Amino acid sequence: MSRRSGTRTRTEEAAKAPDGERSQAPVAGTTRKRTVGERAFSRRARAAERRRRTRRTKLNARRPSGYTAILVELRLGEALRLLGRALRRIPRAALVCALVACLNAVCWSIVSPPFEVPDEPSHFAYVKQLAETGRLPSSGSGRYSYEEIAALDALHYYKVRQQPQNQTIATRFEQGLLERVLHAAHGVGEKGSRAAGVATSQPPLYYALEAIPYSIARAGTVLARLQLMRLTSALLAGLTALFAFLFVREALPGERWAWTVGGLAVALAPLLGLMSGAVNPDSLLFAVCSALFYCLARAFRRGLNTGGAAALGSLIAIGLLTKLNFIGLVPGVVLGLLALSIRAARVARRSAYRMLALALGIGFAPVAVYAAVNALSNHPLLGSLSGASLVPHGSLLAEIDYIWQLYLPRLPATINDFPGVFTARALWFNGYVGLYGWLDTTFPAWVYNVALIPAGAIALLCARALYVCRAALRSRVVELAVYASIGVGLMVLVGGASYYTFPQVDAEFAQTRYLLPLLALLGAILSLAARGAGRRWGPTVGALIVVLFLAHDVFSQLLEATRYYYG
Amino acid sequence: MRPVKVALAAGLTLLAVAIAATLVHAPMVIAHKNGTPQAEDRIATAAHSVTYCQANELVPRGTTAIRLSLAADTGPRVRVSVSAGGRVITGGTQGSGWTGRVVTVPLKPLAHTMPAATVCVSLAPRDERVTVFGEDTERAIAARDGRHTLAGRMWLEYLHPGSRSWASLIPSTARRMGLGRTPAGTWNALLAFELLAAVAILSSTLVLKELA
Repeated sequence: MSRRSGTRTRTEEAAKAPDGERSQAPVAGTTRKRTVGERAFSRRARAAERRRRTRRTKLNARRPSGYTAILVELRLGEALRLLGRALRRIPRAALVCALVACLNAVCWSIVSPPFEVPDEPSHFAYVKQLAETGRLPSSGSGRYSYEEIAALDALHYYKVRQQPQNQTIATRFEQGLLERVLHAAHGVGEKGSRAAGVATSQPPLYYALEAIPYSIARAGTVLARLQLMRLTSALLAGLTALFAFLFVREALPGERWAWTVGGLAVALAPLLGLMSGAVNPDSLLFAVCSALFYCLARAFRRGLNTGGAAALGSLIAIGLLTKLNFIGLVPGVVLGLLALSIRAARVARRSAYRMLALALGIGFAPVAVYAAVNALSNHPLLGSLSGASLVPHGSLLAEIDYIWQLYLPRLPATINDFPGVFTARALWFNGYVGLYGWLDTTFPAWVYNVALIPAGAIALLCARALYVCRAALRSRVVELAVYASIGVGLMVLVGGASYYTFPQVDAEFAQTRYLLPLLALLGAILSLAARGAGRRWGPTVGALIVVLFLAHDVFSQLLEATRYYYG
Repeated sequence: MRPVKVALAAGLTLLAVAIAATLVHAPMVIAHKNGTPQAEDRIATAAHSVTYCQANELVPRGTTAIRLSLAADTGPRVRVSVSAGGRVITGGTQGSGWTGRVVTVPLKPLAHTMPAATVCVSLAPRDERVTVFGEDTERAIAARDGRHTLAGRMWLEYLHPGSRSWASLIPSTARRMGLGRTPAGTWNALLAFELLAAVAILSSTLVLKELA
């Protein structure tokens, strides 16, 4: 304590010298000459004082705007520095993958005509209601706002949707008519849209995000607002590809070049472009799920820490607030958190369980708040989910059998729910290869047959890679089980939802886009396939995989363009 | 590494060739259709294996596909046969799993125009029903389901390759791409093309940098 005060005194005294080093007058009370060290100390002290004075002068100059503003500025600067540091730590290849995905989704947003992507009119209506009234939609009907209906009519939406023989507007006269309708409808002054079709039951986070571009383009027509909202979705495609790259890097750290194969393949996936080039909460869901896979892989590789637990919890919360489909992933993620906590508990038991509680606490906080609000307002505890039954009809066994057959060939002695249909191929593989627009735009039949060749080759190469590194796999069996359970959870959710309308509709939700939250796993599979070709040929095969995905994307966009505009 | 550069160059060349080959071909256009429907009528609903036959159809020469107005979420296999004088002239099948409001069934091309052919459509739905769209007509000319007569005639469109190639349709396609959006203009198509080119260039550069 005394040493400190002595130091301060000497510094203050030295600083009092009016003209710096030239003043050799002895300090009061001392008669001895100063040593070299003391002189140096004195110089440092004077420099420090000069800096302090400069800072004080700057602060005084800023005083009129207030200290709060300075604090905000400092914090903002700090946040930007942190962001910059975090961005610098991301490999440049990952950022390029993100840019590719983003540009690709923007391209899809131009190629896809307005509202001709699954459920886009409903999602648009939801955003309109939220942005203009601050309330959630309350009706699941298709009676959207006058403005939206007028735009849909003028675009011939009802004639074009699911009828590939009909195309979008084709003449300048129709365009003029459309513009007149849009401007007239904009002046009606109605607020919001109580009905948001199939989107009504979805949670509001994505729509709240889209309310920002909607409000920015508020003065524009419906189509201007829609396009700006589509561009916002396209940014989310970039995040999906970025996290898919980072997931591959964490999950398969061995070969640096293979990360690029996985990241680029995801960035070029046509279905990602289609859905992220439209107004659809799937775009945020894909990004959240890719980030979730990345955080899990990072935690499995480096251990679960407080930051990782908070990130996983936040992602669960964001996922639950984005789309109900995320519920399918939750059991697998919770299993992953349990596995990570048990592993961490071997080192520090209390901190491990604290981190588990932190992740689950953050993750399920929105559900708890939602349930509490519902309980207080005498509504069903979980809203529309409260009435949902795990077994809507028939027996549980029949439902399990249905879900199994929705993805895999039926087991012996079971009833065939899809006679004559090999579901894995007809619904899922063909759906991935090419089913665009409002599920009405397909390639010629031979394309789906030819696509089996590269798909088979990729599967074989992936199997070889897994066989070669089987020893490493054994040590990561828990991690793999977690990823598998996330995938299975999502597939069961899609199957269960489809079973609701079965047998009136064979497979209502058998759309490949519902499995795209697993895109990060696709990136890892493709990365493994490239590695499966061996050290010598791996990069070459990787380059071919990227070209294959690029070709798929280019032809898919050409197909979409010809479906709607040729003639 | 040299093989990566070779593979990338070969792949991109192949892609360019495939695009060029596609552009040289002509898209399918409607050669003939059996009416211009003003209103949509459901003339039948198939709930089990059934064959609908419709007589007096004009099937043009060179027809390579028939488009049927059938609606299903997960459609069953669809078989089409075209016969004249009691003899099957051509036919085709569309596999199960289709979705939407129309289904296109490829056919073996016809050498001659058939002025009074009978077109039969066979479906085998099990659980999900298939709706058949068409036009209400008099019973005498309506399609038949074995012994029963349907409420009207099925809408059929006969498709064949058009006379103009995809390449020659690029300007009109680009112009139409610029309509129905805000801001409108042909520049939308140009922007899409530039974006796609940027995607290809960025991807190729990254592959060369990281893999080669």
